[in-house]
Amino acid sequence: MAGSMYNKILRIDCRKKSASDWTVPDDVKDYIGGMGYGTKILVDEVSPQVDPLSPENKLILTVGPLTGTSAPMFAQSCIVTKSPLTGTILNCYTGGFLGPEIKFAGLDGIILEDRSEEWILIYIEDGRVSFHSAQPVLGKSTGETEEFMKDKFGKHVRTLSIGRAGENAVAMASIFSETRTFGRGGSGAVLGSKHIKGIAFRGSQGVDVADRKGFAELTAGNMQIIKKACAEEYNLVGMFSRVGTGAGVGMINGKGALATQNHIYGVFDRGSEIDGYAYARKFYTRAISCYGCPVHCGMLHKFRKKDNTESWLRGPEYETMFSLGSDLLNGDPVTLAEANQICEEYGMDTLTTGVTTAWALEMAERGIIKEPGLHLKFGDRNSILGLLRKIGEREGIGDLLANGPKKAAEITGMDTLSCSMQIKNSGFAAWMPRRMKGLALAFATSNRGACHKRAPIGAEITGQVDMDTIEGKPAMVKEIQDKVNAIFTLIGCRFHEFVTHTDYYTGFLEAATGKKLSVEEFIRVGERIWNLEKLFNLGAGFSRRDDNLPGRCFEPIKGEKSEGAVMTHEQFKTMLDEYYSLRGWNHGGVPETRKLKELGISRYESLLK
Amino acid sequence: MAVGFDIDAQKCTECERCMMACSLMKLGYIQLGHSRIIIRRQWPEPPGINICRFDDCEGQPCIEVCPVEAIANRDGLVLIDRDTCTGCEACVDACPHQAIRMDDENLALKCDFCGGEPACVKECVSEALCKRGV
Repeated sequence: MAGSMYNKILRIDCRKKSASDWTVPDDVKDYIGGMGYGTKILVDEVSPQVDPLSPENKLILTVGPLTGTSAPMFAQSCIVTKSPLTGTILNCYTGGFLGPEIKFAGLDGIILEDRSEEWILIYIEDGRVSFHSAQPVLGKSTGETEEFMKDKFGKHVRTLSIGRAGENAVAMASIFSETRTFGRGGSGAVLGSKHIKGIAFRGSQGVDVADRKGFAELTAGNMQIIKKACAEEYNLVGMFSRVGTGAGVGMINGKGALATQNHIYGVFDRGSEIDGYAYARKFYTRAISCYGCPVHCGMLHKFRKKDNTESWLRGPEYETMFSLGSDLLNGDPVTLAEANQICEEYGMDTLTTGVTTAWALEMAERGIIKEPGLHLKFGDRNSILGLLRKIGEREGIGDLLANGPKKAAEITGMDTLSCSMQIKNSGFAAWMPRRMKGLALAFATSNRGACHKRAPIGAEITGQVDMDTIEGKPAMVKEIQDKVNAIFTLIGCRFHEFVTHTDYYTGFLEAATGKKLSVEEFIRVGERIWNLEKLFNLGAGFSRRDDNLPGRCFEPIKGEKSEGAVMTHEQFKTMLDEYYSLRGWNHGGVPETRKLKELGISRYESLLK
Repeated sequence: MAVGFDIDAQKCTECERCMMACSLMKLGYIQLGHSRIIIRRQWPEPPGINICRFDDCEGQPCIEVCPVEAIANRDGLVLIDRDTCTGCEACVDACPHQAIRMDDENLALKCDFCGGEPACVKECVSEALCKRGV
């Protein structure tokens, strides 16, 4: 092993139940790892026009050069596939311990191809693959499936699994890994379409780096920076380390930017009853880390359910406090925890599922949809928990909602689309585009639909820049999209960049692998990936028309503190034109030939034909 | 002179940096199977922390049970002499803290306190694992 990568990816043919080693070729290595590998391989091997749930789609699970090393906050692994929710290319991530275990198994990733005839579990031990019947766990929750695999393959395995939502092809089904989740975009339905219920990994091999001394010095330096941030009272990462990501709710709510009641309002009057501090105050709380992470933002809470049984949950996270909390007018921390648990059992993205539920509740209150046995009222426990189960089961109204918020509105008709808070059928994250104009552009232009991971949220919410202005936002959005894409080749936690200078990424990369890149070259890899994704989406039929916001974003936010924030069509058009121009794309959002040449991806222009 | 750890499992966040540090110290690279400290997840409860307790281990049964006297207490540091160890695994079974296991060469392996400055302690950010002093 030279450096921290094994240069080996397993290709698994699900139909033939066979696997072969694939040596990573040099043109893939140019994409560093993680999201870069996944994007390059998918674009090379899968037509943009395939049905995401057909055997022709592939699911690529990768790790990066820093996975499994001592570098802090690089625990995540990445999935790239074509999304059944959005129809775009998808990249999504899970924390925990799955990524390091894949690396310890001597792999840089796996590629799942074709479809198994029968439901299976896959076990991968040090690169060797075996296939097993999933019959005993069919219909079971993600947690039960995980437990079954630990019993069957050994208690030390690290797993990923789907629940009933993935089995039922729910468009926002996600893949769970020991309470962490590949949340966005419906990767759980893709795994389900391949008839894979779960995968367990076990690795006993090591991870070495090219320059041990240099790497140790960088790790020590970076650890000092993160520990210092954790000790600071008003540092966001420090707040996360104390009460979890839910620490942020109060700040957002205070600025009138916490989406409430399907994004009608920007303030939730019971926000402080469901935030991170409330959970820490009301319930037993224990901080749990991902592999090697000094921030430990994943909070385990023990609580008593409404039926008086003892239970526990790792979460809810900040975004879920919006999607199953404020957006549904749910101010009860127990109901929120139980709603989170239902999403975990079924294996569903709490964001898009919550956003779709909020839309359904509003439509029901307007008399447009109904469901026997459920009142369908905002804030009503039974309505919320009932709808979530129905989505997971694709039962009754749940069958409509399981298509995602945009498709459900399109099927329903009657001008219900304008209040479906999604982009490309992916539900909004907790932030309000009308309140934060840079975020609005980031949501609209994201290659995976309504993505908050590549938005200038920090700068806007902390007041470094005026969140209401459109000035300078296109350049900011482009910069952060390219930078985060580059960081996701190493699969750094998104919070890592909050406190760490970009020099660290190139420093770590060189010390781990010997690959020397300037910061500019590193970010250029991110831009190349961004354009490759864009070409795939254009090839799939997307256009400028899809880089847009739902109608509600062009109406003022109601309520106090939000100052009636609104986006005008003119403002949005100005930002989008400037953004396309900065990207070297034409007015329709299509990359110009010279831009593709500059990025070294001219040959992918054929995707546009 | 007391050798031991102050361990508070409630504070442990299960990040496994201690296991990483142990492996890096002993091997120079990361291979968690070779770590002499093991964090054992038992959600929702705090983890089990398997490591030699030295002076805090009552009776130190590993020393007693070793048929070839390969384990000895040297000024508080309970150490295994690899040249003498025959790999019989008696100490593995006897250890009340599940802190001894067999390595790739089938010899008993346990924490040696890094001679006085345990690498794992330095890496523990939550102070779940502290050094009592030598």
